[in-house]
Amino acid sequence: MAVPHPRDIQSAVVNWLDERYPFTKAVDEALYQRVPNFANAFYYCFGGMVFILIVFQLLTGVLLALYYIPDATGNPAPAYQSVQFIQSNVFLGWLIRGVHFWAANLLIIMVLIHMSRVYWTGSYRAPRELNWMVGTLMLFIILGLALTGYLLPWDNKAYFASEVTIKIIGGVPPPQLGAFIREIIQGGPVVGPPTLQRFFTVHIFVFPAIIVLLMYVHFRFIRAHGISEPM
Amino acid sequence: MSKQDFRKDGPGAALATKEVTLVELDGHVGHTLEPEWKRLPVGPDHILYPVVVGLALFPILMGDAGHHLADDMPDEDTHPFFPDHFWPYPIIAVMMTIAVGLMAAFLQKNMQLEPSADPRAVTIPRPDWYFLFLFQLLKLGNELVMSVIVPTLVIVLLLIFPFLDSIIGPRIARRLGWKTWPVPGRNIITGLVWIGGLGVVALLTLWALAGPTFCVPWPLTGLVCGA
Repeated sequence: MAVPHPRDIQSAVVNWLDERYPFTKAVDEALYQRVPNFANAFYYCFGGMVFILIVFQLLTGVLLALYYIPDATGNPAPAYQSVQFIQSNVFLGWLIRGVHFWAANLLIIMVLIHMSRVYWTGSYRAPRELNWMVGTLMLFIILGLALTGYLLPWDNKAYFASEVTIKIIGGVPPPQLGAFIREIIQGGPVVGPPTLQRFFTVHIFVFPAIIVLLMYVHFRFIRAHGISEPM
Repeated sequence: MSKQDFRKDGPGAALATKEVTLVELDGHVGHTLEPEWKRLPVGPDHILYPVVVGLALFPILMGDAGHHLADDMPDEDTHPFFPDHFWPYPIIAVMMTIAVGLMAAFLQKNMQLEPSADPRAVTIPRPDWYFLFLFQLLKLGNELVMSVIVPTLVIVLLLIFPFLDSIIGPRIARRLGWKTWPVPGRNIITGLVWIGGLGVVALLTLWALAGPTFCVPWPLTGLVCGA
């Protein structure tokens, strides 16, 4: 019996799918979408660069979470020791942590550059107002990710920087409300192990879930509206 | 380039030789699949077709394409998403991977850990660079105003900016005798608002970065130093 060529097998699979669903048509239609020539300008790539950096963050974040221990009891705390372990002992751990660290910094810069482009070309105007709002929310979530991620190494710099930030957030009047917000964020009267646990949870579960959801909405809007006109 | 100039023996030829019907998916009213000279360069019998399918899943999952600007433009002013518009992105991704990898390798100093957190330690608290402007802003006036009211106001204004632009903008344009309310890139008012905003953030950040020895007299709070 002759062994079928892989190409024939692939064609048979595609034909089989085509008989049940307009598979080839859907693929062709999706990829054949026409794009205006002006969209080839370099400044239309900034959004794609933000997307790439978010993907970097998600991938390296998962790898870091394999070794990170969100425990701040004792001195040195297991959280601190686990970051040291990632940095010194884990194979290419220094690189993964470095990519996570630098991509986070670049991400904030790229989001601002992308927003500047959107603003400058008036791409927030009707019918794209909602997409501007979604993008702005993404900026705040990214800043939230940066804030919560900063505490995780649990060194002196991270500790005191987060303490100051929480103090600022807790300055909301009236004092009872400020104290309540501070208590919610800290998980206690001072920045301590419960704070790290909360920041860790928000940093790896809550905010990434929100950012993925917002990215999906952002892309759906872009797909619906297309690329905006140049200036 | 005329229609006749396009190759008809390429990887998509197996499909291209057939009569191709126009595709209309879910009420999509934009460009539709047209003759063979417009087909994708990678057809169902091509070894890379599974990759193309993988790429196509992204727009398919993102829902129907609406009526885009390109749908009303002549073909010579547009190009297909794949491969013409897509190809820069893998290159950008590779370049960014290399750039971030090099930063991780050569800028390790910035990532070095300080001693494990100790609340009794004596240190000058300073947030990371992206929050420095807020940190510096706090020193410029009443704490409540600078920590709560100003940031909240900026957040709300940023979120509702498109509506402010569409409601207030044309009125300002009429008052100034402008025929239109241009986009910020061509509009000195909105353009300056953005540049001014970013300038203030950059200035506050640089002020903070200048360190605690760099002090400037400030009318509201006296001498204000960096962080």
